[in-house]
Amino acid sequence: MSATTVTPLSTPTSLRQLGLLVQWQLRRGADMVPFLVVVQVLLSVTTVFGYGLLVGTPPPDAAAYLATGAATVTLIMVGLVMTPQGVGQSKTEGSLAWMRTLPVPRWAYLASDLVVWTLIALPGSVLGVVAGAWRFDVTLSISPWIVLAAPLVSLVAATVGYSMALLLKPQLAALVSQVIVFVVLLFSPISFPAARLPQWLGVVHDWLPIQPMAELMRAMLLSDTFQMSTRSSLVLAAWTVVALAGAGRALARRS
Amino acid sequence: MRNDVLVVQGLSKRFGAGPDAVQANDAVDLTVRAGQVVCLLGHNGAGKSTLVNQVVGLTLPDAGTIHLDGVDAVADPARARALASVQAQANVPITGLTPRKAVELVGRIRGLRKADARRRSGELLGALDLAPWADKPSEKVSGGVARLTAFAMAAVAPGRLVVLDEPTNDVDPVRRRLLWQQIRHIADDGAGILLVTHNIHEAEHVVDDVVLLDSGRVVTHGTPAQLVETLPGASLEDVYINLVGAEA
Repeated sequence: MSATTVTPLSTPTSLRQLGLLVQWQLRRGADMVPFLVVVQVLLSVTTVFGYGLLVGTPPPDAAAYLATGAATVTLIMVGLVMTPQGVGQSKTEGSLAWMRTLPVPRWAYLASDLVVWTLIALPGSVLGVVAGAWRFDVTLSISPWIVLAAPLVSLVAATVGYSMALLLKPQLAALVSQVIVFVVLLFSPISFPAARLPQWLGVVHDWLPIQPMAELMRAMLLSDTFQMSTRSSLVLAAWTVVALAGAGRALARRS
Repeated sequence: MRNDVLVVQGLSKRFGAGPDAVQANDAVDLTVRAGQVVCLLGHNGAGKSTLVNQVVGLTLPDAGTIHLDGVDAVADPARARALASVQAQANVPITGLTPRKAVELVGRIRGLRKADARRRSGELLGALDLAPWADKPSEKVSGGVARLTAFAMAAVAPGRLVVLDEPTNDVDPVRRRLLWQQIRHIADDGAGILLVTHNIHEAEHVVDDVVLLDSGRVVTHGTPAQLVETLPGASLEDVYINLVGAEA
């Protein structure tokens, strides 16, 4: 066999490895990615029209929440629900353990999943905004900062989902993610103001990242009307740090 | 001086606590030198996979040291991973990829340039007689071809140590022979190979050293010839059964 067999390996750059991991993940999911994109589009658009059926023609302030909510719901769902399901599957089939034997920085696994899932979520998120603006007759004022804000929402959701999937047994992680769907869709101040929640649930959401994510997306999509509160910015920043550290630790963990 | 690639000393790992605790590895010593194929034998549950998982940084030892090409693999698993490549006991699913693409991508992730990865993948797949399946979707290949593909993924850019956990499972006799040739080639090119197998009969003719594990402890070790000498007229498999057969 050739001399390449034990030629000392070059040190590949982390970014190159990230690109190769993304390629690996996309090729492995090639047959499912179109379906996942369609499901996200359907979820996003039907959330808009489903809420529309519930509320009829809402007043302008409620319409603003409904029009922007679907985009946030899609990003959160992908991170908190689909990412753990994907990680759970790779744990069960054994590919996660093998992937962890590759000489790749731990953050690159997280980043490659994030890139893949964000690409999957993007069409649904964009179409959800378009559908929302049309259905509720809202004029968008989109901030250019959305190109950073939307990936940040994805990042926090996916890292929380990732940590959950790495630390919990796959079946339990799947169960928890189902509960999250329910909570995100109906009991989170994404498509309606937090003031409508029971007081205790409002207090809970003061400390969870969901409300700040929704505020951020709303402030990006309707930048003329909405701003993100300082408190929400701090809560989201804290969750970003905690979620990144948690996912990093979970990925580096040795049994 | 001996060009040791892997040096394991006093390695111990216990799972669980109390009366149900399992001592998976108990003060294991093991050395793999460059150019050497070391075969780890032992019945199911003897602690072979636990040992391998500690070497590749998936499991943290309770005690002992692991040095991979001089690198402390317990303290610095990231550097150790760059020096070792692994074929896991279970096949890695590569749905959506062809065997060739999977081997190439792993080669590039492990640091080969695109052209080198392509050439080396082609050589390996050819040497293992996998050309007819190399470009077929992995969903359409048999278990044996998938197993050989997993081997090629570990062998494409092997680094200093190659860990092979049951590489011959599901592989037909003709290709098993080709596989053993490739294992020997990789060692002859200078890598150390830690091989876990139950296929003692075939391994006997390829390996340089054998380490026999039982209940997490090293029962005996030596070259196949040395071990066979302990039981005149016997094969390595006979020696194995003689030493641990009652519990296997």
